Amino acid sequence: MKTMSNRPRWLLLLFVFALVVAACAGDTESTTTTGAPDEATTTAASGETTTTEPAVESAMTITVDINPDAVWSDGTPITAADFACTWTASLNTPGSIRTAGYDQILSVAAGASDKQVVIEFATTYAPYRDLFYYVIPQHVVTDPTCMDISGDFLDAYPVSGRTWQLTEWSLDQAILEPNAAYWGDDTPVATRIVQVPRQDDGGIASLGAGEVDFIFPQAFAGITDALAADNIQFVPGYGTNYEGLYFQQGADRGGPFSDPVFREAFSKSIDRELILANIYDPIFPGSELLQCGLWVPTLGPWCDNTQFVDSYDPEGAVALLEGEGWTLNGDGFWASADGTVPEIKWMINTPNPRREATQALMIPEFAEAGFNVVADNGDADQVFQQRLPAGDYDLAMYINTASPDPTVTSVMSCTQVPSAENNNQGQNSVFWCNEAASDLMQQSDIEVDIDARADLIHQIGQALVDDHVMVPLFQFPNVAAWRTDRIEGDAPGADASNYRAFNNSSQVWVPLGDDTEIIIGAEQWPECLNPVTECANSSWMFWTTEAAVFPAIWDTTADGSYVLTSLVTSEPTVVINE
Amino acid sequence: MARFIAQRAAWAIPVLLIVTFLTFWAVRSATDPVQSYLRANTRATPEMVEEYKEKHGLNGAIPEQYFTWLGNFLTLEWGNSIKGNRPVWPDLKAAIVNSLILGITASFVGITIGLGIGILSALRQYSKFDTAATGASFVGISMPPFVSAVLLQVFFAVMITGWLNLDKPFLPVAGIYPPGQTTFDLGLRMKHMILPVTVVAIQIIAVYSRYMRASLLDVKESDYMRTARAKGISERRVIMHHALRNAMIPVVTVAAIDFGAIVGGLIITERIFEFHGTGDYLITALGNGDFPQIMPLMFIIVSSVIIFNLLADVAYAWLDPRIRLG
Repeated sequence: MKTMSNRPRWLLLLFVFALVVAACAGDTESTTTTGAPDEATTTAASGETTTTEPAVESAMTITVDINPDAVWSDGTPITAADFACTWTASLNTPGSIRTAGYDQILSVAAGASDKQVVIEFATTYAPYRDLFYYVIPQHVVTDPTCMDISGDFLDAYPVSGRTWQLTEWSLDQAILEPNAAYWGDDTPVATRIVQVPRQDDGGIASLGAGEVDFIFPQAFAGITDALAADNIQFVPGYGTNYEGLYFQQGADRGGPFSDPVFREAFSKSIDRELILANIYDPIFPGSELLQCGLWVPTLGPWCDNTQFVDSYDPEGAVALLEGEGWTLNGDGFWASADGTVPEIKWMINTPNPRREATQALMIPEFAEAGFNVVADNGDADQVFQQRLPAGDYDLAMYINTASPDPTVTSVMSCTQVPSAENNNQGQNSVFWCNEAASDLMQQSDIEVDIDARADLIHQIGQALVDDHVMVPLFQFPNVAAWRTDRIEGDAPGADASNYRAFNNSSQVWVPLGDDTEIIIGAEQWPECLNPVTECANSSWMFWTTEAAVFPAIWDTTADGSYVLTSLVTSEPTVVINE
Repeated sequence: MARFIAQRAAWAIPVLLIVTFLTFWAVRSATDPVQSYLRANTRATPEMVEEYKEKHGLNGAIPEQYFTWLGNFLTLEWGNSIKGNRPVWPDLKAAIVNSLILGITASFVGITIGLGIGILSALRQYSKFDTAATGASFVGISMPPFVSAVLLQVFFAVMITGWLNLDKPFLPVAGIYPPGQTTFDLGLRMKHMILPVTVVAIQIIAVYSRYMRASLLDVKESDYMRTARAKGISERRVIMHHALRNAMIPVVTVAAIDFGAIVGGLIITERIFEFHGTGDYLITALGNGDFPQIMPLMFIIVSSVIIFNLLADVAYAWLDPRIRLG
């Protein structure tokens, strides 16, 4: 039988290719809306370095006196120009994630000398200590105006203004060595700090094998057994992280929690004691529930730790729904008057044994209470960088971090609900809008009296309760674990409450024996090193690398207080301009 | 033979074009580079977004975008990643090298041992060795790599180190080098490969031992084999010269596909052992929606599979002359 020769078959294949291409030619270009900010909103605070008088009257002036001995590792003095660069870059770099507060600044300029910085604010900005916790070296960035530093610090920090210098960085390891030009008294004992990525079980195995000296693992049930060894010490400390359940309640998003009655009923059906007993207590026996939202009791006076005590009220939930015409259908789920049975998509990041165990525990419990909850999970990148900001979930469970400053305006105010006005870049990922609460947030941001501010914060907390925005679960303990035959000193344990365990690493982490270096297993690893872009959206990245290299005015401690660093000679003066 | 190779190579070109175009279409449908860019650059102005789209050929219909991308790819203008804003090629090159080293080593070890076990099993069918090898291969096939990897880590890196009271791990837990190593050291590099290679090789040995056993059993009792024995040829020569050659044909096909897929990486093994290869690279890039990182790797993977299939065809023809005449 004669078969088709090769040439016609070759031509046939090309013809098929052409047909496919032609079929696709009708596809239009990407129709994605740009979501870019309008020009008007970006010019509100240009952040350009200026020494001229600001057009808007200054409401607050902060004067910072830089240590005369403060120099970068290449000998260049640290001056007001570096502060101005930090402000400009944070505000204007296209990928900047650190604009909060810097958008309240009118100008950053040299004062009596270039070793004095005068910062003018448009408003009385109470959380000012949260600013300039990383000062950028203006003389090394590509753009001398510092308007866009996204192309800098991709895989190296050319200079250091602190105890350590980053001598090597890759996706496999980071090496810090003492900065010979550092002027402060807190000079390192160790000759080198090496960081390597070690996730989850790999970190614990590495510690047990002696491959690394210190890890900061995520706590999970059984971690005490996993770390049990004669030469391993670990310390849990109640840190600033808290885990909770959050309800996406955008009115125009069509989710089940846009109905306030349904949302309240579901919130009242969450048996937090059951979660505590089964999920958290096995990790750390004797734990207690967190009873305030968005703040923690160990960090300042902001947490009213009684607000969520009575959150569990299943009878109240039933009465509420029945009063609105809801009934239980044949499957045992609540159906609205028109017969709709809402499906609640519960989103967590996986793999995460603790949260997966919580889902396994609570989904049947919710079903028992009449709520159709289904797991709808994704990996960390999808959950936190895509779905959460887009509101692509109904119920979410994740850890948030309380800041020493209690402001929540940037994550909970009405203006931060993603919308066309903010080009869908708002950070209020629960889509909660309470105008009265937003007003309280604005007021608290300019209230410098601590007691008055605490009262305002407590009122905001009560609004969270009344509107059923979220349900706090647990102030999460952090675990610092280290090899006692490798590292000496109490500091790793004393600061185990959070990543500040590394604050004193220069002095009090003493390598034992012949070993003069400290090896840290890192649970996270950034894509690059830029301190203002998405790459910096990692607590680990900041505390173990940025904070070791970039100078700052204040350091924060585990109990929420601020301490001055050697960058400055005295506490900056703050003048409220009448 | 040369004509045969030339014909096969000629076929590879349109296949490559079609498959890469479909891959491009699929990746563009699954990810939106503009959205990824906006997520990483929340303060980008409309002008910057248009500039980004223009620079990366994201305007126009899909075929136009594909050919723009193809032109940039072939002229080595691969751009920067979206999230990290870092050049694509250096990280991708490092990932490919790591995956090739791991994959080729594991494949060589696994196939060699697997074929040997398969041959012995076939020659000693139903013996104790055959029974044990069969059972072991089922365990190897059934055991997921994330189980064997963690077990090996715990046993060799943690437990033995503790029992022997060693200062350093008996075998490394993870990484390509020990922490702090800044220079090339072949010995350390090989030591860090022992566990990940073992994890990968376990499954390869299990699979190839079964392939070889089945294939050789199928060939061993063929008519031409009976004829060869009848002609007085030694059993050893019958097996080595006649049986193996024909038994290798299906094995070569599978091996070629497996080798072609090496460059695609070993996601689980690379993640557990922090062996940053293309599997780890691809998962991270997909999670970030980082199109500039995804597409070059996909093209390389597709090309690799096509090339190795071509090589399989050539090997096929060498093993069985009837094929090159067909």
